[in-house]
Amino acid sequence: MVELKNVSFRYGSEESGAELRNSLTGVDLRVETGEFVLLTGPSGCGKTTVLRLINGLIPHFYPGKVEGSVLIDGRSVTDRELYETAMLVGTVFQNPRSQFYNVDTTGELAFGCENRGLPEEEIYSRIDGTVSRFGIEKLMDRSIFQLSDGEKQKIACASVDVSGADIILLDEPSANLDYEATASLRETIKLWQKQGKTIIAAEHRIAYLWDLVDRALIMSEGRIVRELSGEEKKGLSDSGLAAIGLRGIRQEAPESIELPTVLPGDDAIVLRDFSFSYPGSAAPLFDLPELRLAAGEITAVTGSNGAGKTSFLNCLCGSEKGCRGTLKFGGRLYSAKERQKLCFMVMQDTGNQLFTESVLYEVLISLPKGTSDERGRAMDILAGLDLDGFADRHPQSLSGGQKQRLAIACALASGRRILLLDEPTSGLDHAHMMQTASLLERLRLMGTTIVVVTHDSELIRACCGRRLLFGQLA
Amino acid sequence: MAYSSERSQENRRGFLDPRTKLALVLLLALFVMGGLGGEALRPAKTAMSFLPFALLLIERRWKSFARGVIMLATGYGLLFIMPRLPGVLNYFALFCGGILTRFAVTVVMGEYLIATTTVSEFISAMEKIRMPQAVTIPMSVMFRLFPTIASEWKSIRRAMRMRGIHLGGARASQVLEYQLVPMMSSTVRIGEELSASALTRGLGAPVRRTNICRIGFRAQDFILLAGCLFVILLWILESIGVKLW
Repeated sequence: MVELKNVSFRYGSEESGAELRNSLTGVDLRVETGEFVLLTGPSGCGKTTVLRLINGLIPHFYPGKVEGSVLIDGRSVTDRELYETAMLVGTVFQNPRSQFYNVDTTGELAFGCENRGLPEEEIYSRIDGTVSRFGIEKLMDRSIFQLSDGEKQKIACASVDVSGADIILLDEPSANLDYEATASLRETIKLWQKQGKTIIAAEHRIAYLWDLVDRALIMSEGRIVRELSGEEKKGLSDSGLAAIGLRGIRQEAPESIELPTVLPGDDAIVLRDFSFSYPGSAAPLFDLPELRLAAGEITAVTGSNGAGKTSFLNCLCGSEKGCRGTLKFGGRLYSAKERQKLCFMVMQDTGNQLFTESVLYEVLISLPKGTSDERGRAMDILAGLDLDGFADRHPQSLSGGQKQRLAIACALASGRRILLLDEPTSGLDHAHMMQTASLLERLRLMGTTIVVVTHDSELIRACCGRRLLFGQLA
Repeated sequence: MAYSSERSQENRRGFLDPRTKLALVLLLALFVMGGLGGEALRPAKTAMSFLPFALLLIERRWKSFARGVIMLATGYGLLFIMPRLPGVLNYFALFCGGILTRFAVTVVMGEYLIATTTVSEFISAMEKIRMPQAVTIPMSVMFRLFPTIASEWKSIRRAMRMRGIHLGGARASQVLEYQLVPMMSSTVRIGEELSASALTRGLGAPVRRTNICRIGFRAQDFILLAGCLFVILLWILESIGVKLW
């Protein structure tokens, strides 16, 4: 049993000034053994903080001031050493790229048990048990750098399973997953439920586990504001959820949404003999003799993890070496090099494309040479994206959503006519997802062609007018 | 047949023990790269220089082998044409050739160590030589972080090209600075997330860790380690003034 009794928490030490975001105020929570509880709410509401209190990362790793008590089976987590809590609680994190300590999958599965000093025979038999229950024979003895995000998340779940923890915490595990991988995550959770594990999940995308959870707790600004269970939970509709700022509960594969790729009246961007293969590999990842995209529209590119969607975007904006083929836009042929000045890509990891020390400067260096009144123009663009208040902030200190808007601001400043986005709404709550959708719509009205790789059905429903099914073409 | 992790660990066992690999890296760094022992040990050094290449062939690392050969060939090529080059170029060729020929072998050996050793094997080997956890853990994180940093680096370079910032471009002078800003913040973030994840899985518990990987000295290890001892012996003899050949 997990209990939080009147818990308040703020990150940071007293001297440095506590940060309000993600803090908690007077949280009471009691999760019975074998129960499955969902924590949801807008970004920054504190749901991840609750999980960190339970697995002991707060206050042992993330410092801050904890009031109240956090108990597992009646004993305080705060007073326990982290490695003691580790035997009881397993956590699957959001980012599949940064939660593996080992570079090979088998080593990763064994890691938790090795740290505990279990005998080798015991570890072997636990691994073999988990591998057959999860059906992941094919993923064993591989380098984790060769796995797709979906496969990595599966290994993360499997390593929690091998450790034998009875309490399992899931911190937005589906944020980077496609529809299929999310469905497979759902199966894993069902397996754990059957075994009587206690599960606490923090999620924005609630559709895939809505019918599995016993209770859903809605958080806002560090408090639990609403509890839904039984009939009340069943009776909620998508519109009811949207009203309280939550994402929908309808599981919908992005592939099943019917949208045309191009309509007869569309101005077409024509790709010819577009192919890409990894250096050193003979077989192309994709090879498209002719492909048309609608200019001036928002096109969603969907397809499973690992189909080559991100490489496709990289090829479009001319930054992929192994890419062949041409793009014709507005009666002109563009080579890969010329496409670098035509397209702008908002990457999944937006932090990697912001280089300077202030938001304003970031936009200034994007403006074409010889722009008159550079400063005024840059401030106009920032104001249009609600970023003018942050002009002097360091780009790396912004939130994920703000970084994304800043990258779009740079795209606007550079005057590129094609905007590419890679999974812009992964890990975003309902409000921020809708904000991105309406921003894209505004850009479309300004004449920008937008291509967005996504497996977020809600985003597609909200703003995409065209759809390209990737993978079947290749 | 059902999957057996025990059998697969046995099959995956590396050709050398990680301790042997570390000893070889150390020795090559001291003698070949660092120039310890001077001219007198040249025959031994030449023999040692073939080792990492042979090991790469044994483990079928064709690409790394080719890269190493090219590095070395370029180095010697530069030294060969150096006397025939005019003024500044001559100096440049001597400089690059010198660095390449001196560093290539050790770099190849280091690459062999990183590429063929899993984190678990490395930790296991360190425990066997009684290295304290305070040294082992940061070093093993480094093992894990290298390939991650490489892929972040690639993505940042791509982003810079797209934003029109490159050498020869409008803002060439800031290229390095611009690269470092996202690089540092993403490395710090990934490092932090990695540590958090490792701690929730009990890393650092005051118990004796077990390791499922198979390491241990076999014939090839003993032969190579004996070779290492022999080189060190030669060096000691040489430095106390014994005439070697």
